[in-house]
Amino acid sequence: MTSASIGVQAGRPADLDLVRRLRDPALLLLPALAFLAFIYLLPLIDLIRISVSGPSWSSYFQRVFAIPLYWDSLVRTMQISVTVAGLCLLFGYPTALLIHRSRGIVQVLIATAIVLPYFIAILIRTYAWMVLLGRNGPVNKLLVSIGILSEPVQLLFNRGTVLLGMTAVLLPLMVLTIYSSVARLDQSLTRAALASGAGPIAAFWRVLLPLTLPGMGAGFLLVFVAAIGFFITPTLLGGPGDQMFAMHITQQADSVTSEGFLQALGVVLLTITLAVVAVAGRFLGFEFIWGGRKLTEAAPKATDRHAADGGRRSFGASLADLFGWPLLRLFGRLPASCGTWTVRLMGGLVIAILILPIIVVMIISFSSASYLTFPPPGFSLRWYEQFFSDSNWMRAFWTSLVVAAMSAAIAVVLGASAALGIVRSNIRGKSAIMLLLVSPIIVPPVVLGLSLYSLFLRFDLVGSTVGLAAAHAIGGLPIVVVILSASLQGVDTRLEQAAAVHGASSLTVFRLVTLPAIMPGLAAATFFAFLHSFDELVLTLFLSSAQLKTLPLMLWGDINYRLNPVLAVVSTLEVLLVIAGLVLARPVLATSRRAT
Amino acid sequence: MGEPAAQRAMRSGDANVRTLLTGRLRERDAIGSSIAVRDAVKTYGSFHAVDRISIDIMPGEFITLLGPSGSGKTTLLNLVAGFQSLDSGEILVDGKPVHNVPTHKRGFGMVFQSYALFPNMTVSQNVAFPLRMAGVDRATAERRVAETLEIMRLTEHATKSPSQMSGGQQQRVAIARAIVRRPKVVLMDEPLSALDRRLREQIQIEIRDLHQTIGSTILFVTHDQGEALTMSDRIAVLNAGRIVQIGRPLDIYRHPTDRFVASFVGESNLVEAEILQKRGSTLTMKNRAGYVFSAESRDTIDVGRATVLVRPERIAVSNEPNANSTPVSVTSAIFLGEILRIEAQMEGGEPLLIRCTDMAGRPLPAIGDRLHVSWGAADCWVLA
Repeated sequence: MTSASIGVQAGRPADLDLVRRLRDPALLLLPALAFLAFIYLLPLIDLIRISVSGPSWSSYFQRVFAIPLYWDSLVRTMQISVTVAGLCLLFGYPTALLIHRSRGIVQVLIATAIVLPYFIAILIRTYAWMVLLGRNGPVNKLLVSIGILSEPVQLLFNRGTVLLGMTAVLLPLMVLTIYSSVARLDQSLTRAALASGAGPIAAFWRVLLPLTLPGMGAGFLLVFVAAIGFFITPTLLGGPGDQMFAMHITQQADSVTSEGFLQALGVVLLTITLAVVAVAGRFLGFEFIWGGRKLTEAAPKATDRHAADGGRRSFGASLADLFGWPLLRLFGRLPASCGTWTVRLMGGLVIAILILPIIVVMIISFSSASYLTFPPPGFSLRWYEQFFSDSNWMRAFWTSLVVAAMSAAIAVVLGASAALGIVRSNIRGKSAIMLLLVSPIIVPPVVLGLSLYSLFLRFDLVGSTVGLAAAHAIGGLPIVVVILSASLQGVDTRLEQAAAVHGASSLTVFRLVTLPAIMPGLAAATFFAFLHSFDELVLTLFLSSAQLKTLPLMLWGDINYRLNPVLAVVSTLEVLLVIAGLVLARPVLATSRRAT
Repeated sequence: MGEPAAQRAMRSGDANVRTLLTGRLRERDAIGSSIAVRDAVKTYGSFHAVDRISIDIMPGEFITLLGPSGSGKTTLLNLVAGFQSLDSGEILVDGKPVHNVPTHKRGFGMVFQSYALFPNMTVSQNVAFPLRMAGVDRATAERRVAETLEIMRLTEHATKSPSQMSGGQQQRVAIARAIVRRPKVVLMDEPLSALDRRLREQIQIEIRDLHQTIGSTILFVTHDQGEALTMSDRIAVLNAGRIVQIGRPLDIYRHPTDRFVASFVGESNLVEAEILQKRGSTLTMKNRAGYVFSAESRDTIDVGRATVLVRPERIAVSNEPNANSTPVSVTSAIFLGEILRIEAQMEGGEPLLIRCTDMAGRPLPAIGDRLHVSWGAADCWVLA
C-alpha cells in the first residue's frame, strides 16, 4: 500500500466526522441562543452593570432600601402578591377539580370559560373591571336597586379592587397549572382509595391532595412571581396607597437624573423574582415554569429527585395527619354531597368572575350612551363607526397587526429550530438551555422593558417596527419552544425511521412525517406568539415612539385619559379575535387527537 | 429451504393468486443480498450493547436474531438499518461497506413492532411510499402497489386510513410497505409481538411464504424462541451483546453449546451428572439420584462432572419400573390439551420437567404419585 492511499483512508473518517458534526441537531439551538444573548441577556447584564456604577457599588441600592417610599412599596408588593397567590389557589383548586370532574359539553364550556380570558390582554380584562365597578357600572346599579346603597359609590381605586383585579387576571394561570397536575393522575387511584374504604373526603385528603401538591406549589409560585412584577392592573385599579414596586420603575423611567437608581430598582425586582424561582426550582424542578416534564437526561438525577419526592411527601403526610385528619373527622359527618357542592359553588364563582366582565364590556360596546353606563340605554353601532373611521385607531390597529405578524415570524422560526435542537440533540445541559430559552416568561416585563430601552437607544431602534417586533419575540420565543418541544417529543421516532429506511432523506422525513405530526403544535404556537405580541403593552411603553403606536398603547393612553365605549369596541374585537383563533385551532387539534 | 413455494401457497389458501404472482415476482427479482457484520461494537457509556459481533448472512437467507431484552439484538438490527452508527467494525452488504451510507440510501425494507404506519396517509399511500421515494413512475408504482396489496390480501382496504384497521391488518400493511420495492434485504423488528397468538401464528406462516416468494434476505429480531424455531433458516442466539451460538433451528434446539442457549431455547432439564466411563462419543453417566444413563457428547469431555440437557418431551414415562428407569415423585401435573406437563422430583431432590402425550385411558397423575422415567443416549446432550 502506498503512502498516498493511506492518506486517503485516514482522511475519510475525519471528513465523516465533520459532516456528522455539521448535522448535529444541537446547531439548531444557535440562532435562538444568539438572538437571546443579544437582545435579552446583554441588556440585562448591562442593567446590572449600570446599577452598580455609582460612587460606590451599593450606593443606588442603599437608596432603594433606605427611602421609605420604596421600602414600603416593596413590602406592600410582597403582601399583595402572597395574598393574590393565596386567593388564586383557594379558588383555583376547586375550579380545576370542576373541569376534571365534568364531562362532555359542560367540560368544554367550563374549560373555555377559563382558557378564553387567559388569552385576552391583561389591559382589556382590567379595563373590564373598571367598567364593572365604575360609578355607573352594573355592580353599583345592582346595589342601589336592591337598596343596599342609597346612591352609587366609588368602588374602584382601593386595595380590595387591586386584589380582586389581580386575582381575576391570574386565576386562569393557576387553574390551568393545577388542572394539568390533576389530569395527569391515574383516575383509578381515587377509585382505589374509595374501594379501600376511604370516604370521598378522606380520598381527597389522603390521595388527591398529596399527589397534586406539586401542581399547587407550581401554580402558587407562578402566580406569585407574575404578581411581583405586575404593573398594569394595580396602576388602573389601585389608589395612591396601593403603589406596587414595578410602578416606580415606569414612573421614574422618563427622568434622566435617576439613571443608575432606576436600574437598581429593576435589579432588586429581578433579583427577588429569580431568587423565588431558584428556590422553587430547587424543590419542584425548574420544569414547573413551563409545566413540562423532565427532558431526557442523565438517569441518576432522576432517581435523585425521586428520593426527594418521597421525603417531601412523607413530610406532607405527617402534617396532614397532625392537623388535617381530626378536622376531617368532623367534616366527615357532613353529607357526602357537601364536597361536590363546594367545588361547584366555588368553581361557578370563579367562572362568573372571569366571564362576567367580558360579557359586560361586549354589551357596552353596543351602547348608545356617550359615557360608560350599564345597562346601556339603547343599542347603537356608533362606537364601532367611530373606531373604524378614526384614522389614529386604524393606524394603531394596522401597526399592531404588522408588529405581531413580524414578531410571530421571528419567534416561530427561532423557536421551532431551537425546539428541534433541544429535543433531537444529545448535548449535555439540556435543562439549563431549556431554562434559558424559557426564562423570559419569568423576568418582570418592566425590568425587561427598562433594560431593552438602553439597548434600543444605543442602536437607535426606539420607535422602529422591526425592533419592537424583535422585543416582543423575546416573550413569544418561550411559548413556541414549550409548545413545539412538547409536540416533537410526541412524534413517534419509529415513523421517522420507517420513512428513512424506505428511502426518504432527512429533509423528506421532516417534510412528510415530522412536519405533519407537529402541525397542530406549530399552528397553536404561531397563534399564541402572534397574540402575545398583539397584546403586549409594557415593553411597548418603553420602546415605542409617537410615530409607532400599537393598539394596546392607544388603549392605555385612552384609559388614563377618558373612559369611553370606544375602548369597549376594541376589547370586543380582541375577544372575537381570540375566539376566532381558538375556533380555527379546533379542527387542527381534533385531527391531531384522532391521529394519536 | 423446505417445501416448494407453490405447495405452501396451497396450504395457506389463495393458491391461484399466489402461484400466479410468484411467477411474476420471481422474474423480476432473483435473490437477496448477502450481509456481513465484522467486529461490530456499539457501547452506551460503559454498557456494551453490541460487543464485537461478527456474522455472515447468505443471500436470500431467513436469519433470526434471538435473545432476551438487553442482549443487543435490536441494537444490531438498528446498526444494520443505519439508525445508529457503529463505534467500530464494519457492515458489508453484497461485499460493499454500508456502515457510512445514510439509512435512506441503503434500500432496505423494514417492519416495525409498532407498525409505524404514517397516520396521515391511506393504506395505499403508505405502501406506495418507498416507491415514491425511489422516484418510480406513477403507472409502475400503482401497478406494484396493487400487486403487493393483492399478495397481502389488502386490496379492499386500499383507501382506508391505518387507524381504521385492526392490529393484524395494520401489520400486513407494514409488511406490504416493506416489500413493495422488492428490496434485497428486509429487516423485521419483533413484528409479531403486538398481535394475539392465533394471529401471530397465521402471520408467521404468511411471512415464511412471502420469504419464499420474494427471495429477499430477511433479518428478523425476536425474543420468542418458538417464533425463531418456526420461521428461520438459521438462528443467532444473542446474550449480553455477543452471539452465543448460530445455527439451524434443529441444531440450536438439539445441540446447544451452553446452558444459556439450552435454557433460553425451548424448555429444558439440566441434569448434573458424573462421568463414569467414555467409549467413543458415548459417555456413561450417573446423576445425584444414582440414575445411570448413557449420553452423546462432543469429544472434548472425558472425565469429571458435566451438565446434561434432557428435553422434557424426550423423557419416557411409565407407571411400572423397568431395567433402565429411575423413580420420581410428581409435584404438579397440568393437562395442556394434546400433551401433559408434569413437574416431578428425582430422588436426589433435583426437579424434572416432563412433557408427554396424553394417552387414552391413562388418568392424570396426582401430586405425590410415583412414576418411572428413563432416557436413552440419543435423548440427551452433554453441555461443555
